Order: sequence, then structure tokens, then C-alpha cells
Amino acid sequence: MRLSYNWLKRFIDFDFNPQELASILTSIGIETSVVSSKCCWSGVVTAKVLDVQKHPYADKLYLCKVSDGLKDYSIICGAKNVSSGQVVPLAKIGAVLPGGIKIKKSKIRGIYSEGMICSKEELGLEKKSDGILILDKNTEVGVVLENALDEIDSVLEAEITLNRGDCLSYLGIAREIGAKIRKTLSIPAIKTFDVQDLNCIEVKSDLCRRYIGVLISGVKIGTSPLWIANVLEKSGIRPINNVVDAANYVMIELGQPLHVFDITKLESKKVVIRNAADCETIAALNGKEYKLDADMIVIADDKKPVAIAGVMGGEYSCIDEKTETVFLEIAIFDAGSIRKTSKKLNLSSDSSYRFERGLSWDIAEFASWRAANLIVELAGGLVKARKDLQTVKYERTNIVLRLERVSKILGYNVKEDEIAEILRFLSVDLQQKKGGIILCTIPSWRNDIKIEVDLVEEIARIKGYDNILPVVPSPEKHDACVYTSNNSFLPCIVEEFRNKLNGLGFSEVLNYSFLEAGELKKFNLEYFYKIANPLLKENEVLRPSLLPALYKNLLLNIGYGCERIALFEYGKIFTGSGEKKTFAVIMCGRVWQEWWKWVEQKISPKYDFYFGAGIVRNILPSDKFIIAENLNPKSYYHSGKTADIIYREKLVGEFGILNPAITDGIREEVFYFEIDLDSFDSVYGRENPIYKAYSRLPMVKRDISIVADKNLEFSKIDGIIRGVIRSGGILKEYSLFSMYSDGYKLGDNKISYSFRLFYKNDERTLTDEEVNEDINTLLGELYVKLGVKLRE
Amino acid sequence: MDDIKRIVDEVTQKIRSANIEILENIKSEYLGKNGVVTKILKSLSHYSVEDRKKVGFEANRVKSVIESGIKERKEVLKKASLAEKMRKEKVDCSSIFYFPFSKGSFHPVLQTIQDMSLVFKSLGFSIAEGPEIETDWYNFKALNIPENHPVKNVTDTFYLNDMRNLLRTHTSPGQVHVMEKQKPPVKVIIPGRVYRNESSDASHSSTFHQIEGLRVDKDVTFLDLKAVLTKFIHSFFCRGLNLRFRPSYFQFTEPSAEVDIQCLFCKGRGCSLCKNSGWIEMLGCGMVHPNVLKAVNYDSEIYTGYAFGIGVERVAMFKYKIDDIRLFYENDLRFLKQF
Repeated sequence: MRLSYNWLKRFIDFDFNPQELASILTSIGIETSVVSSKCCWSGVVTAKVLDVQKHPYADKLYLCKVSDGLKDYSIICGAKNVSSGQVVPLAKIGAVLPGGIKIKKSKIRGIYSEGMICSKEELGLEKKSDGILILDKNTEVGVVLENALDEIDSVLEAEITLNRGDCLSYLGIAREIGAKIRKTLSIPAIKTFDVQDLNCIEVKSDLCRRYIGVLISGVKIGTSPLWIANVLEKSGIRPINNVVDAANYVMIELGQPLHVFDITKLESKKVVIRNAADCETIAALNGKEYKLDADMIVIADDKKPVAIAGVMGGEYSCIDEKTETVFLEIAIFDAGSIRKTSKKLNLSSDSSYRFERGLSWDIAEFASWRAANLIVELAGGLVKARKDLQTVKYERTNIVLRLERVSKILGYNVKEDEIAEILRFLSVDLQQKKGGIILCTIPSWRNDIKIEVDLVEEIARIKGYDNILPVVPSPEKHDACVYTSNNSFLPCIVEEFRNKLNGLGFSEVLNYSFLEAGELKKFNLEYFYKIANPLLKENEVLRPSLLPALYKNLLLNIGYGCERIALFEYGKIFTGSGEKKTFAVIMCGRVWQEWWKWVEQKISPKYDFYFGAGIVRNILPSDKFIIAENLNPKSYYHSGKTADIIYREKLVGEFGILNPAITDGIREEVFYFEIDLDSFDSVYGRENPIYKAYSRLPMVKRDISIVADKNLEFSKIDGIIRGVIRSGGILKEYSLFSMYSDGYKLGDNKISYSFRLFYKNDERTLTDEEVNEDINTLLGELYVKLGVKLRE
Repeated sequence: MDDIKRIVDEVTQKIRSANIEILENIKSEYLGKNGVVTKILKSLSHYSVEDRKKVGFEANRVKSVIESGIKERKEVLKKASLAEKMRKEKVDCSSIFYFPFSKGSFHPVLQTIQDMSLVFKSLGFSIAEGPEIETDWYNFKALNIPENHPVKNVTDTFYLNDMRNLLRTHTSPGQVHVMEKQKPPVKVIIPGRVYRNESSDASHSSTFHQIEGLRVDKDVTFLDLKAVLTKFIHSFFCRGLNLRFRPSYFQFTEPSAEVDIQCLFCKGRGCSLCKNSGWIEMLGCGMVHPNVLKAVNYDSEIYTGYAFGIGVERVAMFKYKIDDIRLFYENDLRFLKQF
């Protein structure tokens, strides 16, 4: 809500400057900032012109003697309207004017000027001035200009929390200030009188709780006086005419929205409050047409709606310059209904904004008189008739406040007297009882105060949260919890993945959980959750895999010329079995950056299946994760370059080169790895290794090369060699260091593997004969079982 | 005898300036098969018994002097040649302008969660989590947000196609899950991803992260809340940082507060980052509303509690001076590699 600082002073007496006021309001829960202050100068004071003479060396300049009450100044001025006896704004030496203009002592045509007499233009108060600003003759001399000039006002912007509809008014804000500084409000006086009953109103909807109608006739529509137009404008409301402005003013003064319309424009002279008919339409005051439904309330005549209740008036009943009879409506509608209507129609107004937050029973009544008085004052006419219809019986909220509860919740003792004082200034009616109990009757505008703890907040709020001092938490009080043993928000295994990949130069990414449905097609993926109400297409479905977004990240980075892309992500995916924690890696391009040293050695490895698999193997925390043939590869993988990860006989992950059909356009192969963390215990971390005694004797190394059929799976060969190792002989380890197929050298469909075998006897040094014998046994077994021969 | 003395002087002189090659020559010249000293030792039989003893002793002494002299000289030469080798191999440190392996990086948002969690763990909080797909009960009703409340206008919710389930708009439903599972005392933080159905701009994103905090026990007070958050902010940012608790409104807490911290960059003087206010809004908090305790069958007459919620991106943006929240989700390596 926008507020004029000066106008606020009419309701409560305070002497803070706008900035101080803003921080006081902020400290009691109304976050306030000073949005515009017309004062954009400093060092300008009011001064009296004592004497004016022509400048001896310039025709168009004057030499003035000016006093600020303490000292006389010699000022050179070029304005024709300067004359002695005037009170004027004087920018003294050192003053700063809008635009950062600094006033210095300067020589003008041979004579020094000790400052400058300012025009409104120079002060930034108007675009073009004709001469200097002349203040009222009675203005005090020597005071800072901003305090002497009434038109210098600050506009405050107060953010009102949803629960405090009562603060959407000058009076509401003033009441809060009053409670904080313990001062009483100045409430505008109203005149009430007996008039005849207004019998044309019929309330047919129980969503209307109270409806006050006032008929004023004989008004003369015109422009509003300046004061009201000014306040409205500063409060962010456009002035229209005297009657509408009066209604709007009462809304910002008291917080009760009002509606005025020309009753003679109605087809029947009947005002009906009813639910709209489905598909009924109305042309609203903003010039747009709205389609209504049965959940909305309208004000209507016999035939058609004249206003969308609480939201906006209709065009055809609006007040115009010919209007003489005004119908003034003060109503309380169901807050939820207005909110729904406003949301459905995507139409909100100053009025709906207040209705949604709930209104006050008492203020509605007060506002009806205040507005009637004001309309008559501004537009003439007479209050002809009035009617107050109530569909519910209003009951006041009574709450028992136990003083002991205040300190139990706040951890801080507030004295009973102070509590009572704070509540009284908030207009709460009190009955102090014995035994630390206060019976509280809540004012009708505070519909946010419902239970005891709400009063506790009021006490703490007005007292000031910052006046309740923190203490250092004592450790014994703070370890009294039992809940989870989780160490981190990330599963242990993810911590391990992240740390290892970080060391390998991978970067962590975070993608949105949403995708466009169309983005899945490329990967032949299906979504399981669709968003019912996405604002944007990109929020259409929940991701069933981390792949599409990671692939997009890849393209983005390739796009700007990155040659080495290695990314990983941890997040939830949304599948047929619900949300699942998943970890994925994507990599493409150079394994290492281009580097002079590698160039020297002609090394330029790219991420490929084997390198990727090596990384996967490396980051998996234990040998219990087994890499196996992917028997049922997803179509986004290269059908020949993919593998499964098995943990305790369960498929937990997959990796492989992405299908070249997908990565068409990327020069290099793209490796992707995804592991489902929910399919095994994701708290799972590093296994506890059990020490095995080892021999301190050196290893004997032997290299052999074999030739096998290409379609023989390597795992078969591997199985035999591992079998030999497991049998506990002298073969301890082996590695595969070369693998190649060359039809010319080996024959078609042949592949050669080269192994390095590591031999060791735990007790003594091995002889060549022993090792040769063992190799021959192994080769024999490979030949007999798999037909694999030693390479010639 | 004079001969021997002369030999010692002569050899010592030679060794002092010899290189490896010359040392070998010296060795054979004096100690080799036909070496000067060897000759003397071989000729001992020509001497009288008395002289033989004397000459033999001296000759052996000379032999060991020469041997150790050569050894010492060799050490010196070895050291010198190694020093020379290292001098020649000296690299130009200023040329290491980049490395073969690029640096890995952690995402600033997850890293911020990790960093904050660490502080909360040191303050005695456990870590819990909750689902991202929620029901109206967990996300709203149990948190004292009734149907048609204007707060639902503000936090626009993503509903799933079945219209029953929704994406959580805050981590607060995690509070309800935790309390349903256990009796007090409770002291947890619940980090996670949350969703708002709004169009994104520099400071809004449809996806972001929060850290929820919850403590329920006998005698937990607003003062405890102030204390623990003050301690957190001082540990996470810097000791002695000014902060203020400002009354605010959340459905699920009463009293409610927002905590602002002094802008780290302008030290509270006002800058573009803090929109000239000198303060940065950091988190929302308050005492758990009795209706929330009621929803999980906790007796609000016996137990009180506090809760808080911190927007992770907000903190990360402030900490790393990032001016657009969308950068976090763009995943451009030129951004990511900075962390």
C-alpha cells in the first residue's frame, strides 16, 4: 500500500522523518520503504531577502542581501521576480541540488555570490520555472526547506502481510504506529442521522454477510478539491470525479471498499445481490467484458448485473457528469468467494484486494457514514435513504490470555502492565483477572487474531523482536533429539561419486525437474507425471530420466566450443514407481585438455566406451557392483556399446555410448551412465575392507598374447583366468594391456588380446620353469575350453 | 720415507682438481696393479725388518688416504653434477598457465546446502527428507493453510494431472512427515527441492531449494529460535554480523518472523545488491502454530517448537554475488567451473 507521509500525520502524532518511520513500521511487521521523496537536495534553507540592487556590471543581474536569521549573505540572482521582503529558498555554499549540482562560492561578473536563490525548476519540483520560488510570507526563516514546504511529501510503500487487511488504510497503519509509540489516534468525526429506509435492496446470496446501501440525491458531479486528488494520487489511485474520489478516499482512509453507481441507470430501481448465472456477462469499468459463473456474486437490477461484487463495477451504471442520484454500497462479502472470483477472472482491484483479506464489521458501519458525509460535502446533495441488511449475526472474538503462556512461548518475561498497555493500544478490550489471566475481546478489524498465541505474537511484535535478546544456545539443551542417522542430505554413495568425479575434473550440474513432453521423443522415453496447470510449456511433464536435460547441457557447452564436457547430476526422477533418487554422468570429447605436453607425446584420448566404463568402475565403491552385458539395452544406447551394473543380483544401473542416431551432429561419441540409488541401500558407502596377509616377495611379470574368435565374449576368457587366480596358485593378478583385430594379420573375425600376468609364490622366489609351466597350463585350458591360441 | 710423504702431497693435490675420469686414472696410477703405492707394498721384502714395518705402515696409510680422498671427491662431483642437472631442468613456473586436467566443480546450490547442513549438524540437528510429490494435506492443510486461503494465491502450485497430488511448494511438509513418524523431541533440518508455478526471471525460478528446520520439545521458546538462528548466521557468514528479526506472517508459525542480515558487500551502507536498504532478507521462521502440532497429534499445551525455512538459491546468490537465479540451472561450464 502506498501512503503519503504527511497525510499519515493527520491520524497520529509523531515526529519521525520518513526514513525513521519506515524502519519503525518494518520493526513491527509492516515492511516499509520510502519510494519517493520529492526532496532531492540538501543544504537549502529558508531565507529572507533584505535588499535588492542592480548588479553594477550586468544589466540582467541583481545583487541581493539575504538573511537566514543568523547571518547575511550576498547573493547574485538573475530572476526578475526577486524583491526585498520575500522569503525564498537559499542554497548555501556546500548545498547540493538535483542532478548533483554543488553550490560553490563563485564570482559572477566580478562580484562574489555566497550561494543561490532557487527556483522550483532548480529544486526539481517542476519542469520549467519562471523566476524564483517565493514562499509564504509567514514562513519561518532559517529552517531547512523540506520542513517549510508543504508540497514536499514522501511516499511510503508498505508491504502488508496477507493476514493484515486492516492495515490497508491510513487509519490501520496509524493504529500500528500508535501502539508502538503509545499514542492515541485521531479518528475523523462523522455525523449520523435518521433517514428513511431504503427498500429497494434485496440480498439473495448468503455469500454477502452485510450490505449497507445509502441513497444520495441531488449531487453535482465535478472535479474533486485538490487535497483529495493529491492524497489519492500519492496513494496510487487515479482521481476521477468528486463522488468516486470520495468513495475511494474513504477506502484508503478506513480500509473498507465502497462502490458508487448511478441508480437511475438501472432498468428497475431494484438492487439485488445474488449469485451470477452461469455464462452471464458484464462489461466492467475497465472496458473489458467478463463471463461470470454461479460461484460469483453480482449486484444486479432485475435484468442484468451492474457490478461484480467486491471486484469491479459495471460500465453501464457508472457515475458520469449527468449523475444526480448516487447509490452508495458498503458491503462485506465472503473473502474466499471474492478471492476465487478475482483469480478466475484474472481481475484484481484495490477493492478485491481488501475484500480477499477480510473486512471489519464495525468499520463498515463507520465507513458508510463517513462516505455519505464526504460525498455531500464534496458534491452537495442530500442523504435520502439508508438500509443495513445483515445475513449473519456478528460475534466478537473473545480469547483467554494466560500470562504464563506468554513467557512459555517467548522465553522472555513481559510484565502484565506492559502486556495490558500494548493490547489496549491495539484496541483490544481487556478484563484483567486474578491468577494471571486476561480476558480479551478482539476488535472487529483484527480477524487475524483467533487464538491465544496470536495475542502472544502481538505482544512480541509491538515490544519488538529485537528487544528480546538472544542467548547462546546451551549444548545440553540442544542434543535432545532422536531422529535420523543421516549424515548428509546426499546419500553416502553420492558423496563418494561427487568427490571422485570432482577429482577427475567433472562438473556438477542441476537441472529443472520439468521437461517439455516433446523433449522425450528423441530418447524414446515416456513420462509418468504430467503437470495439470503449467504456466510454461517447459514445465509440462516431470522428468523420467536425467538424460534429456544432461544431453541439453552437453549441446549447450559444445555450442560455445567447449572440447571437454564431463558432467554429473544427482536428483530425483519421476517414474512409474514414484520419485527415485538417481545419479547420472555424461561425458564427451577430450579426456584431457589439449596440452603441449600431450601434443609432444601424441596423446589425445577421447571419451569412449572403455574409458567411460573405467570411470564408472573407479567411482563405484566396491567390487560388489558387477559390470555385465546389457541384455536389454534401452534404445538410446548404442546397441553394441552398453553394459549393466548389477548389485546383489539386481540391475541398479546402466551405461554406454549414446545411440549415434541421437547424437548425430556431434563429432565424438557421448558416454552416459545412470544409477538408480533407490534400488539398493543408498546409505551404502564404502565397504569395510578386511585385511588379507600378503607376501613381501617381488612379483614375476610375464606378457602373453592370444588370438580368439571375435564373437567369443571376453568375459569367458576373463572367467578362466580369474578361475586360475581364485584357485590359489602362483598366478595372482592379470591385466589386459592390448586388444586389436586386424584381418590381414590375424585373419577375419579374429581378435588378439595381450595380457600381463603377475606370478608370485608367497614363501620363496619363483623359478622360470615354475612360471612357464603355469602359463602352459593356462594356455592349455584356454585352448581346450575356448579354442583360444597363443598368438604366433 | 720422503718418497711416501711426497706421494701423499702429490696425490692430494691431484685429487682436489680431478674429474671422474682423472680420478680413475689416479686410482690406477697409484693403487692399480703397477701403481706407485702397490709397487712400494710389493717391494717391502727389500727393506730391513725394522724399515719394512715402518714403510709398510706408511704405505698402507697412504693407500687409505688416497682411497678415501677419491671417494670424497667422487661424492663432491656427484653432488655437483646432480645440482647441475637440476639447474638445467629448471622449469619456468610462469609457463604453467594451464594444466592437462581441468578442475572439477561442485554445483553452488548443492554446495551451499552441504555447507549449511554442516553448521546445523554442529548445532545438534539431524537431517531428514521428504517427498517432492505431495498431497494437499501435507503441503497445505496440516500446515494450517485452509482451502481458499489467499496464501494459496501467492504460492502458485503445480498440480499433477490427477489433480490430487501436487509438487511441494515449500519444504515445510517435511515437518509434518517427521512429526508423524516420531514423538518429541524433534530436531531436524529438511533440505530439498521445491516448486512454484510462476514464470521465471532474474530472481524467480519455478524450481529452487529450501532448508527447513524444526525443533519441538518441552520448553522450546522464541528466544531459543533467535539464539539458534543467530548462531547459525554467525557461523555460516561471519561472526558479529548484524541481523534483525522482523515480524512477519506465515500460516504455520505464530509468532512469525523474517530474519534480515546486514549486507555483506556494503556493510549496511546500502548498495545495489541490497536495494539500498543495507539489509538482505535471509529466512522466514517462527514458533510452530498450535494447529500444526494438533494435526500431528502433539499436545501444544505440553510441547512448543520452532521452525524456519531458508531459500538456498537466495543465500548462494548473495554469497557468490550472482545476479540471476537462472544461471544456476543453465549449466554452462563457464559458470559452473567458477565454483
